[in-house]
Amino acid sequence: MNFLNYIIRRLLLLIVVLIGVTVVIFILMALFSPAQRASAFITDIKQFGDIDSIIRTYGLDKPVYIQYFNWLKQIFQGNFGWSTTVSRPVIDAFKFFFPNTLELALFSAPIIILVGIWIGSLSAVHRDKPVDHFTRVLAIVGWSLPTFWFGLILLMIFYGYFQGLFPPEALGYKAHTFVNSAEFVRYTRINSIDALLNGELWIFVDAIRHLVLPVITLTVVQIALVMRIMRSSMLEAMGKGYVLTARAKGAAWKTVIKKHARRNALIPVVTVSGWLFALMMAGVVITETIFNRKGLGWWWARAATQLDIPSVLMAVLFNGILFVVTNLIVDILYAYIDPRVRLG
Amino acid sequence: MKKKIFITVLCFMFLFSMFSFLYAGKGAEPPPEPPEKPPVIKKVEPPAKKIKNPDTIISAGYGTIQSLDPHRAYDTASGEIVMNMYDALVEFEGPSTEKVIPMLAEKVPSEKNGLIRDGGRTYIFTIRKGIKFHNGAEVTPEDVEYSFERGMVTDQDGGPMWMIFEPLLGVGGSRDKDGNITVDFKDIDNAVEVDGQNVVFHLKDPYPPFLAILTQRWSAVVNKEYMIANGAWDGTEANWKKYNNPAPGTETLYNKAMGTGPYKLDRWEPGVQVSLTRFDGYFRGPADVKNVVVKKVEEWTTRKLMFTAGDIDIVYVDSMHWPEMENLEGVKIYKDLPTLANAAVFYNFDINPEGNRAVWSGNLDGEGIPADFFQDINIRKAFAHCIDHDTYIKDAFLGYAATPAHPIVEGLPYRDPNVPIRKYDLGKAKEYFMKAWGGEVWEKGFKLTIMYNTGNEKREIACQMIEENVESLNPKFQIDIQNVDWGIYLNNMVQKKCPLFVIGWVADYPDPHNFVYPYQHSEGTFAEWQSYHNPEVDSLIEDGIRTVDPAKRKDIYYKLAGLYYEDIPGFQISQALDRIHVRDWLSGYYWNPVRDDQMYFYMYKKGY
Repeated sequence: MNFLNYIIRRLLLLIVVLIGVTVVIFILMALFSPAQRASAFITDIKQFGDIDSIIRTYGLDKPVYIQYFNWLKQIFQGNFGWSTTVSRPVIDAFKFFFPNTLELALFSAPIIILVGIWIGSLSAVHRDKPVDHFTRVLAIVGWSLPTFWFGLILLMIFYGYFQGLFPPEALGYKAHTFVNSAEFVRYTRINSIDALLNGELWIFVDAIRHLVLPVITLTVVQIALVMRIMRSSMLEAMGKGYVLTARAKGAAWKTVIKKHARRNALIPVVTVSGWLFALMMAGVVITETIFNRKGLGWWWARAATQLDIPSVLMAVLFNGILFVVTNLIVDILYAYIDPRVRLG
Repeated sequence: MKKKIFITVLCFMFLFSMFSFLYAGKGAEPPPEPPEKPPVIKKVEPPAKKIKNPDTIISAGYGTIQSLDPHRAYDTASGEIVMNMYDALVEFEGPSTEKVIPMLAEKVPSEKNGLIRDGGRTYIFTIRKGIKFHNGAEVTPEDVEYSFERGMVTDQDGGPMWMIFEPLLGVGGSRDKDGNITVDFKDIDNAVEVDGQNVVFHLKDPYPPFLAILTQRWSAVVNKEYMIANGAWDGTEANWKKYNNPAPGTETLYNKAMGTGPYKLDRWEPGVQVSLTRFDGYFRGPADVKNVVVKKVEEWTTRKLMFTAGDIDIVYVDSMHWPEMENLEGVKIYKDLPTLANAAVFYNFDINPEGNRAVWSGNLDGEGIPADFFQDINIRKAFAHCIDHDTYIKDAFLGYAATPAHPIVEGLPYRDPNVPIRKYDLGKAKEYFMKAWGGEVWEKGFKLTIMYNTGNEKREIACQMIEENVESLNPKFQIDIQNVDWGIYLNNMVQKKCPLFVIGWVADYPDPHNFVYPYQHSEGTFAEWQSYHNPEVDSLIEDGIRTVDPAKRKDIYYKLAGLYYEDIPGFQISQALDRIHVRDWLSGYYWNPVRDDQMYFYMYKKGY
């Protein structure tokens, strides 16, 4: 019961968080004049004659609190507004771009987390040995690599030099045409998963080919964080009394590492992994831009620079929900990993 | 542990020795024996060049399509798609911007053939029979009438319908600044009428560029029946106001298409790509290439890699990247294509000082400028002599542009080629600055801010050039440059807060009126922001658009060009030359500066 109360309390907190962040956005928005905000609808100087009409249509000249309540009213009617960045309703844009980002996160996050945990453990177990030095240097290099530069280099080598081996975008021309035809059912709108559900292996292979470079880019750049935390956490755990006790009782070293040290060392990694996944879902702007995979990050980054306020508000709402829910899941996982933790 | 290290080292040594052995063995191979007989040289056919996606043209750029509705699509990215799906009554022939040929109409109206009457106030088009829409319905005169009336009835914000309103109703749109509808439905209804197989346009006054306007995509003909079935205006007076100015995305043809053009809409994924398929029933014969995909790829390196890999057939290349496209294998470049577009520096004759930091103190005290600073012609002349045009074209356009003398650019009719350009001359600039404001400017100095929108390098270079040259004349002259967001830049211009600004114009139709009105008429886009008003200029512009006699028009536009030089409300800085980059397996391209560059896919063939 306490556990259920805890979840309800956290979800109620979510509402407060969402109201708080959207109010902040509206207050910030008031710093821009109505004409500045209306100019998001103007792409050509010749359209500027209609600026007054645009201001009137969207009530941009009304007091901020009235604009806020109007927006809230629309949200409850399911209308999230119009995205000038992508010329479509915000909710449609979200439905369209979300699966692309989710696919990238689904493929990248497990690799980053699992490999990060493995290398981090390896590094801790072989502390100050060549393996440790090597992985630490690798982590520093990966963390220091600018995503933009690294992604382009990968693209130049594996797409440019190796004649289209791992191409950019989400699918090739033929696969893209096929998945949008009547012969293909879009169950999840995630290309790789839909390909398997439709039994179209060639689409799956194509989707994977297009995922290789963005996943490598994200993995190399992000893995350092998980690895470093796992290593330090593991080192700490290995120095604990229960590890020494286990060893003293004659348990095999591998067993001690796996069952005693690693499990306890995982707790901080779980937190970081949750945040890592949430951050990826919030948008991997540069990776999506370089590889021309149109996802949430790509959309919201442009929306922010083009004063596309309805899209920015959608980003705020989504990220608010995402991070609160992620924290909740992380807390639940804590309780699972560490029986001493009690929720509620 | 030591044992492990030993084994690892041993493994490495083993692998190394294997490599060395293989390499050494390769090097020790005996040279091949010389052949006993001379080799027979077989004639080998060169392998056929491989074409990627042979039945599809894929194009990539970075524009955002706003709408597929021809009565709303005013931006370039939307227009590029729309023009492939619709036809108009007439069209410019190939690369010409003067010769008009019939499309959905049987003939091009002229006074000679009696289809232009009442001194240019009535245009008659006989609609061809047998032309089909994509749904198989035949084009009727009622469809044509409906198309123009529907365009005026909807008249969406940011749309191009002012070009239809001006000649037909003599107004700029259906609403006033407060959003109230100011036109009468009867005027819209009477402006376009069906008479048997003919469609008759009744113009408010003679309007010489009317035919040119009818060649463009906003004059596209839509299928009335399809429109009504999809919730569009029903063609009657009842509730017509309800259909006026729909919100973005609610216009009937926002994401649909029903035209007669060479391509049909297959699928539009806003922000990502649009796919078209060939319309086999096209009245001029089906297009050569079956499918078309227009992608949005913003990152230049990615776009270039996709192009060089052959995954893209047509690529948009910003001029700064043109040099790196030279001599690439498999790439065809069409060079030095003259655009009907220009850019200029504009002076503000009555700067709005309210909360305006661009004028600093707001007085001629060495720490700012007064609101009427640019009303002194000596100031305007002095600034104009401070731009080194040759260097500007070289720096901003890598040399691929010209400097026009006045708003009527090369390629437009009635252009006076003899109007001089104020050349870069700091001596003259100094002379004019010393004369300005009775010598006060030179004595006290001034301080002002000029802005450009972030990311626009060409405007940035122009601003920097003005700053450096003006400041070099007198240490008391101070110019501050600010880069601001596009919205802020636009806002400052429209609120008349920019002391001077740099911006450009692209032709809607090839007639000088389309340029002189925004540049020189007191109610034109730019002149209004400048508070520039010369009654003689206004009167000439109004006469020019109501005169059908070419000789008289020539006289008027020559005078206007001269007045631009004399009045100097601003000065021209560039008319760009364009380039088109396509894969060498594409052929058939021709340049028409009025059409949106490379994107009319009907002209292309794909293959070697």
